[in-house]
Amino acid sequence: MRVVLRNLSKTFNERRSALEALAPISLDIAPGEFVAFVGPSGCGKSTLLRLIADQLVPSTGEIWLDSQSPTVQRAHKAIGWMAQNPALLPWATVLDNVRLPLHVNRQHNRAAPTPEALLALTGLTEFATTYPGTLSGGMQQRVALARTLATGARLWLMDEPFAALDELTREALTDEVLRLWQEVGATVLWVTHNITEAIRLANRLVVMSSRPGEIRAVFPVPLPYARDATSPEVIALVRDVRKALAA
Amino acid sequence: MSTDELPQKSAPSAPFAWDLVSVALILGAALGLWEIVVRARGIPVYLLPAPSLVMTTLAARAGDYGHAALVTFAQAMGGLIAGLAAGILIAVLITYWKRVERGVLALAILVKATPMVAIAPLLTIWFGFGALPKVILTALITFFPVLINVHTGLLAADEAILALLHSLNASRWEVFRYARWPSAWPFLFAALKVVAPLSLVGAVVAEWAGASAGLGRMMWLAYSNLNMPALFAAIFCLALMGVGLYGVVMVAEKRTLFWRQLHERKEGGS
Repeated sequence: MRVVLRNLSKTFNERRSALEALAPISLDIAPGEFVAFVGPSGCGKSTLLRLIADQLVPSTGEIWLDSQSPTVQRAHKAIGWMAQNPALLPWATVLDNVRLPLHVNRQHNRAAPTPEALLALTGLTEFATTYPGTLSGGMQQRVALARTLATGARLWLMDEPFAALDELTREALTDEVLRLWQEVGATVLWVTHNITEAIRLANRLVVMSSRPGEIRAVFPVPLPYARDATSPEVIALVRDVRKALAA
Repeated sequence: MSTDELPQKSAPSAPFAWDLVSVALILGAALGLWEIVVRARGIPVYLLPAPSLVMTTLAARAGDYGHAALVTFAQAMGGLIAGLAAGILIAVLITYWKRVERGVLALAILVKATPMVAIAPLLTIWFGFGALPKVILTALITFFPVLINVHTGLLAADEAILALLHSLNASRWEVFRYARWPSAWPFLFAALKVVAPLSLVGAVVAEWAGASAGLGRMMWLAYSNLNMPALFAAIFCLALMGVGLYGVVMVAEKRTLFWRQLHERKEGGS
């Protein structure tokens, strides 16, 4: 899905003061691209993602998702949303959680791997009948990932989905996301404050500055997958990104 | 996959048999003490009958007590179901129709604040000595805790799940089905633990105001005749039913909300 942002900004109007969370930004994202947004806390990267997800209304500017508004694309269940909280239904089994997108807003179901196939794809088959409460945080995010894929959405908006996990689990899961992204060919917008994670994943890195959030620098990442976090190229890029963040 | 990703084994459940034994021991000790005090001090039967006398009274008229208990139980259940239905329906209504929320809650508090003992005779005058006034009074007593709890539960739906459903463009009904209604269940059971035994009180109070059958009527007759063993026998039947109802709610809660125990175990274990 092609994502086009034109002079997009967001100001939260509190009772007495206005908080400018996002200064006007413009960006074009090609179909199938993996773009990571990095920046300090409060730089508006989550706000940006929530605007694209149609959870917030922009103060100015436009968002086009394959020439449609986010509202239309959301109505068609074309946007996959994933955040730090896996948001699983605790009273439903793992399989039923992955099936949820098929039960909701049914008239817009699209071609996607079956929930059973998605469980196999995410290594959850043997946990199909267990309940989320018995799973670790990493396994719960795996379920959330499978559920995101069950929509068949071609745009994945991922707001620090693995930020609460330990480093080893996080690395295993990001590798999983990479593999699935390459298989499905979706467009991914990935918000994180972890620079190395962003470089391991993305085609392009957007560095944002804080309050109001604006694009400070854009780094293409022309390295082949799978990227080694300890390779000189990655380390050099980390240094450049850090410099851009500190500037 | 790291080891921490494996699901944890469930902890052994509490030894249920030992619970029963401890309850029986405590109850037995209390009854024994009661019996000893009554006999040793020679307390007259019109003040406090010994438990053994209460039991023989109960056994001698087991059929009468059984029938009365059944009548009271049926009325209590009728009122409880009506109160539950009304409480749940109104809770859903004010959750989705904010405009009437304050008005409805004010009215509900007014009903709650009215002493039911005062209303009971009125209901008897209006609806006679049959089951209807008992059902109505019980419903009036039980509906308020249900309303407040279910309303709170419907509003306590997980924000993250609501955001997920929003991203799928879920309809109002789907949001209710997958987020709000399940989130209200634990609150509903909390209310049930209070109102299930309370429904018996409602039915008995209504029977005091005039009834042709039931434990309340038996209590009232026994009280008029200062027949303490009969009064205590009726109280014993009520207590037994109350404990039974509470137990049923507990078991139903454990079965319905099994997923909450999974969470608790995990939090306790890690």
